[in-house]
Parts: sequence; C-alpha cells; structure tokens
Amino acid sequence: MATASTSSHQSRIGGGRTVAPSARRGLFARKRHRELALIWVLLIPALAIFLLYRVIPLLWNVVLSFQFWSPTKPSEWAGLYHYEEMWVYDDVFWEALTNTFKYMLTAPIAIILAIGLALMVNSRIRGRTVYRTIIFMSYPLMVVAVGIIWRWLYDENVGLINYLLRSLGIIDRPIAFLETFATALPSVIAAAIWQIIGFFMIILLTGLQNIPPNLYEAASIDGASRWSQFWRITLPLLRPSIFLCFIIGIIASFTSFDLIYVMTGGGPGHATELLITYIYKAAFTLTQFDYAGALTVVMFVLFVGLALIANALAGGEAGKVDIAD
Amino acid sequence: MRRYPTWPIHLALLLTACVMLVPFYWVFKTSITGENIFSYPPSLLPVDPQPFFYVDAWYAIPFPRFFLNSVIVAVMVIVANLFINAAAGYALTKNFAGKRWIILLFLACMMIPFHATIIPAYLITAKLGLLNSYLGLGLPAFSHIICIFIFKASFDAIPPSLIQAAKIDGVPERDIMLKIMLPLAKPAVATTIILSFIWSWNDFLWPLIIVRDVEMQTLPLGLSTFLAYFEDTTGALYAFCTMVLAPGLLVFLLAQKEFIQGLTSGARKG
Repeated sequence: MATASTSSHQSRIGGGRTVAPSARRGLFARKRHRELALIWVLLIPALAIFLLYRVIPLLWNVVLSFQFWSPTKPSEWAGLYHYEEMWVYDDVFWEALTNTFKYMLTAPIAIILAIGLALMVNSRIRGRTVYRTIIFMSYPLMVVAVGIIWRWLYDENVGLINYLLRSLGIIDRPIAFLETFATALPSVIAAAIWQIIGFFMIILLTGLQNIPPNLYEAASIDGASRWSQFWRITLPLLRPSIFLCFIIGIIASFTSFDLIYVMTGGGPGHATELLITYIYKAAFTLTQFDYAGALTVVMFVLFVGLALIANALAGGEAGKVDIAD
Repeated sequence: MRRYPTWPIHLALLLTACVMLVPFYWVFKTSITGENIFSYPPSLLPVDPQPFFYVDAWYAIPFPRFFLNSVIVAVMVIVANLFINAAAGYALTKNFAGKRWIILLFLACMMIPFHATIIPAYLITAKLGLLNSYLGLGLPAFSHIICIFIFKASFDAIPPSLIQAAKIDGVPERDIMLKIMLPLAKPAVATTIILSFIWSWNDFLWPLIIVRDVEMQTLPLGLSTFLAYFEDTTGALYAFCTMVLAPGLLVFLLAQKEFIQGLTSGARKG
C-alpha cells in the first residue's frame, strides 16, 4: 500500500526524482537506497526505545500473567490461575477497581469547575492573565510535593482545613480526613482536582477562543439570551475540548500513583487503593510479579476499552493525531 | 449589548486564586515557623520566623546530591528526546515502504501508559544491568511519541521548495536537517524540552522502583523517603518540600508561555 502511494507523493516532496531518465536510473536507485537507509537509521533509536519499554513489556505482562513466576525458580504454566484468584478471591482487587472508577469522578467535577473558570478568565477583565497563571501554576508541579502539601492541609490537629471548619463552626471536633474510611478517597480526589483544574481551564480556554465570535453576534441579533447562547453555541462547540479533558481524567485515574502513595499509601485499609498502587504493592512489596502482571493486563484492557468508548462518544475527535499523508 | 458588572467575576476568581495559592503559603509558613508547629490553634502568620528547619533539612539529607541527580537525568532525557524525536519526526516526513505501519505502531504505543509496563520494564532494566544507574533512570523516557508527531508536524509545515532549493545547491541531507529544518522547528524544540523536562523532573514511580542507594535518589524520591522516615513530625519536611518546589516554580514562572503551550500540545500523551 505504501509503495503504491510512493510515486504520487514523491512528485510533491522529493521533486524530480520520480521521472528519472532511464540512462540515469542506476544512479537514482543508489540514491534512493541511501535515502531509505538514512530513514531507517533515523527511526531506529525511537523504535528501539518503544520496543524495549512499551511493546515487549506489554507482551511480557501477558506472558507473566499466565505463569507461576519468581526471580529464583524456573517459570511454570499457570493458565488462568491468577485471573481466577483475582476475580473470585481477591477482595482488594475489587476494592481497587471500584476506587479507580470512583477516582474518575475527578474528571467531571474538575471539568464543570474549569468551564466556569475558563469562561471567567476569557472575559475582558483586568488581570486575567495573572489569574490564568495562578490557577494553572499547580499543574506542572511535582506531585510528590503536592501530596505532602495536602497531607499537611488535611492534618487532624493543626491542618488548615480542620482549623477553618472548626472556626466557622461547621464541625465541632477535628476530622482525620486521610485516616477515615469515608473521607479518605474524597479528600485525595479534592487534591487531584486542585492540581488538574488549571490544566483543564487552559484546554477549555483554547477551545473557547476557537469559537468564531460572529456566531455570538448573530445569536444576539436574533435575540438569544446569554444563557441560551451558552447552551446552544458554547457547550456544543467546546465538545472536543471537554472530551479531551475527560480522556486526560480517565488516564489520570489509572496513573495517579504518586498522589496516593504520598498522601495515604492506599489506606486506611484499602480505602484509597487504586489499581496502579495495588499493582505496585503486589509486584514490588510482595514480589508477586506474576500476579501483578495479571492485574496489569486487566488494568490495561480496561484503560484501552474506556479510552475507545470515550473516543467514540467524542465522535473520534478527541486525541486525534494527524496521520493523513 | 448590556454590560454586566465585573465585580462578581473578580470575586470568584480572587477566591479561586486564594484556594490555589493558600496551600503553598501554608507549607511555606510552616517551614519558617519558630514555635512548635503542632501548637493549636495554628497561627495564620509565621510566628517568630527563623530558618532552622532549612538548616535541619540541609544537614539531614544530601539535598545537593538529589538536586544534581535530578538535573543529570533531566538533561540526559531532554537531549535524548531532542535527537531521537527530531530524527524520527524527520524520517516520517519522507515516504518509504512500511511508513503507515510505523505510524500505526507509534500510535498504538501511545495507548500504552508507562504505568502498565512497570513490571517487565523493571525486569528488562535489571537484565541490562541498569538498575540504580542514571542511564536506567532516563532510558524509558528517552523518546516521547507525542514529541515525534509534534516534530513531524512542524517539519511538514516547512515549504518543500526550500528543501528542494537546498538540494539543488548540493547541501547534504545531514546539513539540510541540522541547519535548515531544525532551526525552523523551534516551537517543536521548545515543546519537546518542556515536556521531557517536566515528565523527567517530576517522575516518581520509576525512580522508586529502580533506585536502591540514597546517592542515586532524585528529588521526588528523596522527598518521599524523608516523609517515610520522619512522617509529619518535623518542620524540616516542609522546608525540604519548599526547597523542592521552588526551582520548579521558578522555571515555570520564567517560561510560563512555553510551559502552557507545551503542556497543552502534550495533552494527548498516552
């Protein structure tokens, strides 16, 4: 397929090479060979890295998950043993799975708040760039440090949050947010929202600025209220940006290792355990690499499934990369 | 159109700005507090400010070493990303047999989060004998697929006539890439530097898995180890935390336009 299209494209990119006179064909063939060699030499480093750290690990995970494997013994075929154990006996797996889904709530909440913020920092008010910077600032920061900051804010005795709630009379005894089963996960989610909201705001702001202003002019000439302009113009045209945020949120629920590790370590009990923290523990604390491999396969299948569904809902627009050639 | 008053917007944004900034302030305040950090009620302003916690942190941990480790890994990752991704992006502007498959492979790899590869990645790194080494820390991040596509897009935007003219003048392929295309792809270079810097600088899970010795720890790992040893019992933790955050914040504020732009175009990272 690629060879068939080569000649037509070459006339655009490669210039005169396509119509080589037969007398000089040998020279051009040699040049073409050299160019091909160069192309592959340029591609090889990237391919090697992806082979080594993406493709092989993915396949190896699958193999591991069907084996009894430990660093010291030769491996044995295990069939579906690990999957059965996970599905039938492992309550922690189900808890981690549920928590991973709950953690995805970060996305819709953060998106709704971020739409509000994006609309506000998009209006013509003084100091809007300063607001944008301040709200975005938390996003590129080191998650480990952010986790420590939030632990301290949630502190039972002298944390700012307990102090404020007590001073305002909302609660009369301090809450150990991160050590209580009911509050641990929501507290971590709040911290995650705090960190990602500025990023969502910027993505949505870019979306807002790409909406042609004459749509609003036409709508207001027709007498549409601001409210209906928002619902009929802004929201539909923001859809690709919203879905992009949504996909980022889904990815985050599978990769938010740092925040959980620092803030709660998955506890209390397994109240804040996500699949990724559970995989880490199974592999590197309990050295059950085979079982952790099976967990990873489940996580990956789930991740790809959700990403494809979200992409389909977005009309195939979100996360689109231009491959048209 | 009727003008709406702007003060409610200012109020809402000021409140949000407070919510975003107060956590930083609270940790900074704790790190310079002179009294017991556990006295209740906590004071809103630092009482009797002093730098003792910073001195504590400085002597308790090899901060310069952690910082240096982070810098070494980040520089390695940035340089590798620039060369590898620019090369691959350039190759993808050409036509060759199998190009579609390569692009599909890259796109498929984008769907594999690094987190789903940690166990075999650890085993592979161990087999290569790179555990606990700078190269091992950096290697998995030596190429980010999104940056390849960013380079490809910016190379594609360069008018073909320019390249053709250079070819007619007999400029060798290598110089076409290094002296003509790379300078014209400056935005892609900036984006690649920023993305690979942030992802390397903040990376925690990978160092946590493969680093064994204290001397090889990067800043996030050092910080979490400190937390594991001392829990929340000392103000030095917050001094350390501030010391870790400060360089990142500074870099962000100095290049915020590039940061925001780079991170937005890197949003599709898998």
